[in-house]
Amino acid sequence: MAPYKWQASEDIFRLFHSIGHASLLYDIQDSHSGNMAMRWKNAQGEEMIVITATGSQKGDLEPNHLCYLSPGETDFGYYKASSETDIHVNILSLPGAQASMHAHVKELIMATLDDQPAPKTPLPFVPVDPLAFYHLGPEIPVDWFAVPSGSPEMAKTIPARLADHPLTIIYGHGAMTRGRTLKETFFNLCLANNAGYIVRLIERQIRSTRAKRQALKTPEKQEKNLVPEAPLPVGQSPELEELRSKIKAAPESHFHFRPTPYNTDIENRCDFPEEDEILKEFRKTGNRLFESRLSPFHTGSMSVRGVDYLLYAPQASMPYEVGGPLLKLPLAPNPGDDTELLLHKKIYAESDFQALIHAYVPEAEAHAHFIYPGEETPIEKIIPVDAEGSFMYLVIPVLPPKFDEARLVSLLHDYRVVVVRGGGVWAAGGLSLSEALHHPSSVREICLYRLAALERGLDLRKMEPEKAKKW
Amino acid sequence: MAIPGYHGRVLEINLTTGNIKVEALDAQDVLLYLGGRGLATKLFYDRIEPSADPLGPDNVIVIASSPLVGSQAPTAARGHMVYKSPLTGYIGTSNSGGTWGHTFKATGYDALIIRGRASHPVFIDLSPEKIEILDASHLWGKNVPESTDSLTAGSTPGNLYRALVIGPAGENLVKYAVVANDKNRVYGRGGPGAVFGSKNLKGIRVRGREKITIADEARYRSGVDQAIYLLKQAPITKRLMRELGTAGLILLINVINMLPHRNFLDVNHDEEKLERISGEAIARGYLEKAGSCYLCPIGCQRHTAVKTADGRVRRGEGPEYETTVLMGPVCDVYDLYYIIQANYLANELGLDTVTFGGTVACAMELFEKGYLTPEQTDGLEIKFGRGDLLEKLVDLAAYRRPGLGSLLAEGSYRLAAACGHPELAMQVKKLEIPGYDPRASYAQALGYMTSPTGACHLRGGYAVSLAFFGGTKEIPRFSLLQSPIAIRNMQNTGILQDSLGVCRFTGFSFAIEPWARIVSGITGYDFSTAHLEEIANRIAALERLFNLEAGLKPEEEDVLPSRFSEIPIMSEGKPRAISRENMIQMRRDYYRARGWNDDGRPGESYLREMKIEPKKA
Ligand code: SF4
Repeated sequence: MAPYKWQASEDIFRLFHSIGHASLLYDIQDSHSGNMAMRWKNAQGEEMIVITATGSQKGDLEPNHLCYLSPGETDFGYYKASSETDIHVNILSLPGAQASMHAHVKELIMATLDDQPAPKTPLPFVPVDPLAFYHLGPEIPVDWFAVPSGSPEMAKTIPARLADHPLTIIYGHGAMTRGRTLKETFFNLCLANNAGYIVRLIERQIRSTRAKRQALKTPEKQEKNLVPEAPLPVGQSPELEELRSKIKAAPESHFHFRPTPYNTDIENRCDFPEEDEILKEFRKTGNRLFESRLSPFHTGSMSVRGVDYLLYAPQASMPYEVGGPLLKLPLAPNPGDDTELLLHKKIYAESDFQALIHAYVPEAEAHAHFIYPGEETPIEKIIPVDAEGSFMYLVIPVLPPKFDEARLVSLLHDYRVVVVRGGGVWAAGGLSLSEALHHPSSVREICLYRLAALERGLDLRKMEPEKAKKW
Repeated sequence: MAIPGYHGRVLEINLTTGNIKVEALDAQDVLLYLGGRGLATKLFYDRIEPSADPLGPDNVIVIASSPLVGSQAPTAARGHMVYKSPLTGYIGTSNSGGTWGHTFKATGYDALIIRGRASHPVFIDLSPEKIEILDASHLWGKNVPESTDSLTAGSTPGNLYRALVIGPAGENLVKYAVVANDKNRVYGRGGPGAVFGSKNLKGIRVRGREKITIADEARYRSGVDQAIYLLKQAPITKRLMRELGTAGLILLINVINMLPHRNFLDVNHDEEKLERISGEAIARGYLEKAGSCYLCPIGCQRHTAVKTADGRVRRGEGPEYETTVLMGPVCDVYDLYYIIQANYLANELGLDTVTFGGTVACAMELFEKGYLTPEQTDGLEIKFGRGDLLEKLVDLAAYRRPGLGSLLAEGSYRLAAACGHPELAMQVKKLEIPGYDPRASYAQALGYMTSPTGACHLRGGYAVSLAFFGGTKEIPRFSLLQSPIAIRNMQNTGILQDSLGVCRFTGFSFAIEPWARIVSGITGYDFSTAHLEEIANRIAALERLFNLEAGLKPEEEDVLPSRFSEIPIMSEGKPRAISRENMIQMRRDYYRARGWNDDGRPGESYLREMKIEPKKA
């Protein structure tokens, strides 16, 4: 056995610690689940693999919970450093894979459960939100394993899956992913969990109104007052499957834009370190977006406008400990600007707003697909049914995935917040980021109350204030 | 037919000729300038010669109402007055609550323009049935409550007279005399009372019951419901203002090191002394009841009483935050007994208590430094801390008593200049800085620098409200980068509130969105917030244009006194001053944010875009 010894690196430890903690906050681990690994060169230039020790608490890692292995020797003392070390080592041998991570992405696990007898052959998971669809692919593999933890079967299958996909699902257990950095692997897992959550929310709202829709579709049944058909089992909602096939067939027409690929080159860039008050606002807002699940890790964007530049966080959702890039950019459009940045600039060009936030609020993404029983098309506005929501907003406009950008600007002026079906939530602040942040946060609550009302079988139309329907 | 929310009529009175004419309100003016401040500015600009002597017959006073006034929108009962200020030489633009503004609208006119100069004291009597210019010789020399009582005698239930009057300060052309309604609600800053006085106009009495129409009741109502709900949500509009009045801010403003002391030399206060003049102390020791302007659910008015040394009970309103701070800590006075009585007298005689306090503080510093001599003060030892002198000084200033009175009547800048030390006047464009130290908020500093009326927190952008009480709107206090846009947006919110006829304090709860709904519902026109933003930018540009045509030199006058660069205060653990370079940077960025040129002038193409026709090429 090779003479392994602790080679604690402060930077490496801080990175693992912060990602581990963030994964607990995002609820994609239980107290001891999951593992993280990455390639690393020590001070002597030796290739190492750093991996979390088996059974360590990922939310509260200590320096001695990190094991430093050589790529060819994965035993660590009497134990495997992690029960899934072999899987990680195989993943890390894939071209470009510098980091790997496994997490209990509960929402996705729940969204992929089925009641087939074992051995199962699960279908791939098809996300319906733009983040997972574009970043993780239109079909995320799901594999059933007889021994779904640290088995040789997994050590073979999972790296093979990850050769073609950034993330793969272990049926009933979680997901494994690879990335260029540990942050990217965490990003992938957050998107996966978020995708599962959105699908489950859509399924729940479909099922909640299914009986009513059926009844409205068959007048004879209505007359005879027959009990509608029993609800379909989870995962077999034809409406959801229809939505998925439409998205797969024409994703561009179902999503506002293709998100920019995850950028690992600007990880620690901060262009305005001297602006300590604004930095604090960015960090506070970024942390809130993440912790309150208003947008998955390193998604969305936020900006504060100066006179001829903007301060821009292209990976807005960022826990304090992990952070994200903070850029100072010219306000005038540049040829290299991505769609998201250009939209910030366009909105500023046509408004007096001081701050903008774009967040992928999962509840809003799901609810934007809602179709009232008896109607054919998804909603064009979300009408709050809770007290605070209805006074704060009365209505929240929902734009289809493709729209005239001038329309977005005009709606932002009047409502300060706009939901885009397949495109997240845009919110404006007249004076500050904090003001803009309030909007996605409220939208989340408003959608949660509406979804809960649906699940409880309540009639949203009856609950919505009359004046809001006219507004 | 008039646009709903408006009567469609503008009344113009020439006091020199006695000529009275009624013209149709130009719909284009409404769509471009809305009402209140915007409409008044447009009507003013179209009529005034920029070089007019502010105290001569060519000065023009415009009072304009707003489409919301006459509706049930909360606080929407205010009036707005525009004039050329005798204190600054630039635009004077002032807003007041109370009941007069609402009743003026009920006379059936949207705006009143006054020009010329009467040969003897007069008052205007206005109702839907008649417009008269009546003799006011019997009122000349009377104070504000006496004049008000006299003019409103004869009111009948349900059809009350409301009076807008000046006191002796206005008659004596004190450069910071106010015009008062309801005895204590004032069009305060920049000396509108002196403009009235110069025209021999003692007051305007109104009575009426004309109603406005509402185009889309449901839309209007949804906005009103939302506005009321939000006002009842925010602690400051729900509770603090009613319980403690504006003076309830004193201890809070001190917490952020923004409460000025000794003519803005520092922000250091003995907390025990400060507690003695707080809103809490007023509530405990002097408050009889809270009150409200018409249609206001906030209710910040303080109806107070004080027992004098000789056993009399004097009653009045206030003091407000600004009065308490400017006559208090800025003069190193921490005794409500003196502040309250000086405030009562200032209200009775018709003086702006902010400029008065600032001028007295300046006099105190000048005196202590030996630049104002005992000969000039008639032997008065006018030193910091002399609260016992305040009431006497009010009298001296308001009556322009020879000697010190006539010096004080000119405001701090002219006083300090007369003593050879203009740098000791804490003013911008000759208007005294109110009770928020600019070193504790860059946005507030920039607001004072760029306000069209000089150092006014209400026209320059009420940054402090957001820095500390803004809740979700909180902005960094020391950001050079964020301040220019933030202050432009705050100024625009203020312009819109003034143009809609609603109270500034609603801004503690919400900005413009509910108002956009309400005004769109009332008028039936689409006054979206984008459209309103454009209107605010237009009004700001027109005010600027007038000031430039009246001789404003941005380079020299859009600045703070050197004290704020030279003497730092401590805030958030660091010394804070605003260097000249920082001022210039923020100011340039502000001009750019406004779309103006770097020299602070709106360029030709911008004016064209704003549909503004300048007087000069
Ligand atoms: S808040 Fe005060 S000043 Fe404003 S309208 Fe109400 S009572 Fe009048």
